[in-house]
Parts: sequence; structure tokens; C-alpha cells
Amino acid sequence: MRVTVTQGTCAVASLCVYRVPQVFDQDEDGHVVVLEERPPPELHADVRRAARGCPTQTIRVHEDEF
Amino acid sequence: MSAETLRYPFPWTPPMEPPEALRDLRKEPVVEVTLPSGDKALLVTRYKDVRKLFADKRLSRNIARPDAARISADNELFMDPNIDPDPPEHTRVRGLVTKAFTARRIERLRPWVQKITDELLDEMERQQERPVDLNETFAFPLPIRVICQLLGVPPEDQDQFRKSVDGFLSVTRMPPEEVAKCRQDLWKYLGDLIASKTENPGDDLVSELIKVRDEDNNKLSEHELHFWVQGLLIAGYVTTASQIGTGTAVLLHNRDLVEEIQQDWSLVPSAVEELLRTQIMGSSVGTLRYAIDDIPLEGYTIPKGSSVLLSEESANMDETVFEDPFTLDIRRKENHHMTFGAGLHYCVGAALARMELQVATESLLRRFPDIRLAAKAEELPRSLGGFMEGFTEVPVEW
Repeated sequence: MRVTVTQGTCAVASLCVYRVPQVFDQDEDGHVVVLEERPPPELHADVRRAARGCPTQTIRVHEDEF
Repeated sequence: MSAETLRYPFPWTPPMEPPEALRDLRKEPVVEVTLPSGDKALLVTRYKDVRKLFADKRLSRNIARPDAARISADNELFMDPNIDPDPPEHTRVRGLVTKAFTARRIERLRPWVQKITDELLDEMERQQERPVDLNETFAFPLPIRVICQLLGVPPEDQDQFRKSVDGFLSVTRMPPEEVAKCRQDLWKYLGDLIASKTENPGDDLVSELIKVRDEDNNKLSEHELHFWVQGLLIAGYVTTASQIGTGTAVLLHNRDLVEEIQQDWSLVPSAVEELLRTQIMGSSVGTLRYAIDDIPLEGYTIPKGSSVLLSEESANMDETVFEDPFTLDIRRKENHHMTFGAGLHYCVGAALARMELQVATESLLRRFPDIRLAAKAEELPRSLGGFMEGFTEVPVEW
């Protein structure tokens, strides 16, 4: 799994940072930053949930990329 | 579309549950409703459409147009002709405030919110008389203290400020001239506050925004500053207050859920989300939009020039998204509700509200383990006709 984000659409909901702090963080302005582009398998379910829950669909999960 | 026109907001029957009208609503993707003003609007009912349309630029948030539906005859909330609430203007100004609401900033506030909460609960515990109105003693004072402190409103001004906001938000409860007076009082008060913060800046959001206004003339106008401070104060206060009071009433009405939480405090965040999902304290009148183009939707077309409501409460009850949506499930795992909206207008203060609700809920149930409602659910009065339709009183005893 590989995780990417489109910073330009981030609305600073902070949901992903609360859900998976190991993978997502925020810059000074609050926009999402990916800490672990290739999260370990035990976090995959949480990362998918964070992507589904993102109010601006800013998070992309590429299941087939390693 | 159904033949008869529904009144919106929907009536709160039964009082502790989502309105009965929400049960069959999603048979049609779009339903025509009549607002308190008598104007008609198109209500979008299904989760995926609501979510999609929150991000659709063909729906303008600028409802200060002669042919746009009005929420009520005298409402002026969300309709300032000098403010452009659409991108790119809106996005630019929004970016100036979102940084105050990042997860890190919010978590830094948590111990301080806990302290205010504990002080309010101390006061409540000292009260001799029973029942106690939870709204008056706890649900309303907490968020107002938090947002006033964040923005830099002095504690001694909070009562006056609260009176003006309560009146301002009344859609049909108060005579129009009184609503207008409250609106003017609030605007004037905020002008004075901005003037005084310009003289003596503090460590608060208003002072930070003043700095932005003064550093670069194009970044934030005087009027925008005034408008945003007002918006943040109102949104940061009345929504959270109403949710604390009304959400707690619903919890106390379901004693088994209270006990479940008291046996496992890690359930507090998901319980808070579930109470938010059932949106027990308000309607979606704040989502009123104006279609600047035809919008095809599920074989139907939202015609250009129509007024559109994105029904968060109906989306939150969508059975294709939420299992058993009418059941209050405080352990719900997949709970991406629409109560804070979606897309570029997603509630700026959502993380703050969540944190306050978590602290408030846990602290209250820890302090008063056997707290209960001191009135029958069906007798609790609601503030119908306002933007917030939560219970106006929540009498409790312990």
C-alpha cells in the first residue's frame, strides 16, 4: 500500500491525524502531511478508514503500489 | 418528487430520536420542502449525493440573491452581500483561520478545557436545589468560555455577548425588531472588541487576524475581519452548547448506554460521534445553497436558480451507508457522518467541538455517576424556529 495526498484540497478537518497519527500529520497551516508513505500492514485498515472519512477526499490509497 | 410539500425543519417527534419524517425520505433523491419563510427549497436526501454536492462549485453559498429562498422572512445569517462565501475568495480567508484549529493546537487546549469543565462541575455540585438545568449550569457556559478565551473576549463581556447571539439566532421566536437589535448590538460589540485589540493585542485569534489585516491590505479587509470573528464566535458557541445539552439528555434517557460508558471510558469518542450523527440538536438550514447551473442528479435535474438544502440529518440516516441508522450505537466503527458538512466548507471548528464534547461527556458522567433526567423526555422544551433546535432546558438530578 502507498498513501498520497493532494494538499491543495485539504480542509484541515484533522480527522486523519486523530485516526492514524503514525501516518498523517499537519504542517503549520494545518494541511495534511504524510509521514509514512508506505504504512505497515497493521495500519492498513485504519488508513483506508481515514481515506474514506476524509471530508474532501484528499487522501489517496494505492493498494497495488509498494 | 412527492406530491405534498414537507415543512422543514422537520418536527421533533419523538423528542429523543431523529424526526420520524427522516424514515422514508431517501426514496427520492430530491424532495421539495417549505421553509419557515414560506419559500420553497429542494432538499437532497441521500448520503452520497449530499457528500458530492458539498464539493460541487455549481452550488453557491451566496444566498444574498433576490430569487434565493430565505430561511425565514427576516434572516440575515449567512447572507452578507459584502462577503463572498465561495471559492476562491472564501478559501483564501478560510486559510487564515484553519491554522488555529489543527489537531496539535486543539490538543494543547485540552487540559485547559478540562480545567474549565472541572470548575463548572464544582459549581454545579455546590448547588443545593434540585433539579439543576444542565444547559444553564454547564452546557452553555463551557463552550462560551472556551471560544471567548480563544478569540480574546473578556470574561465580563460574556453574558452580554451571549444575549445578543441568542437573539440574533432566533429565526421565528422573537419579534423582528428585537432580532435586528441583537444583531446590531453584536456587530457593534465586535467592532469595539476589534478596536480594543488593535490598541492592545493579546494572545488570541482576534489579535492574530488583526495582524493579518494590518500587514497586507489585500489579505483581509476590515469588514471580512469583523464578519469572520462574528462567525467564529457564534459557530463556536451555540452549536457545541446545544449538542452538549441535547446529546447528554439523549444519553441520560438511555441509562444502559450511560452505564456502558461508565464501565469503559474509551467509548466516549465513539459515543460523541454517534450523538453527533443523529444530529439531535438542529437541522441543516445552514447548508442552504443556490444552484448557479442545472445539476443532474440520479435522473433528476436540480434546475438553475433553485435553492438547495443538503440534508445532513437525512444523509446521516442513510441505510445504504449506516447499518441500522435509527439505532443509537455508541460503538459504531464506520461513522463518517455529515454533521460537520464535507468539502471545502467543512466545519473549521470540528476538532475543537469534538474535543469539548469528549471532555464534557466524560467529566460529567464521572463526577455524577447516577445523574438522571428530572423530567419526562416528551416534556423537554425545544427551541423550535431557531437555527439550533435543541432542548432549551435539561433538568437533571443526582
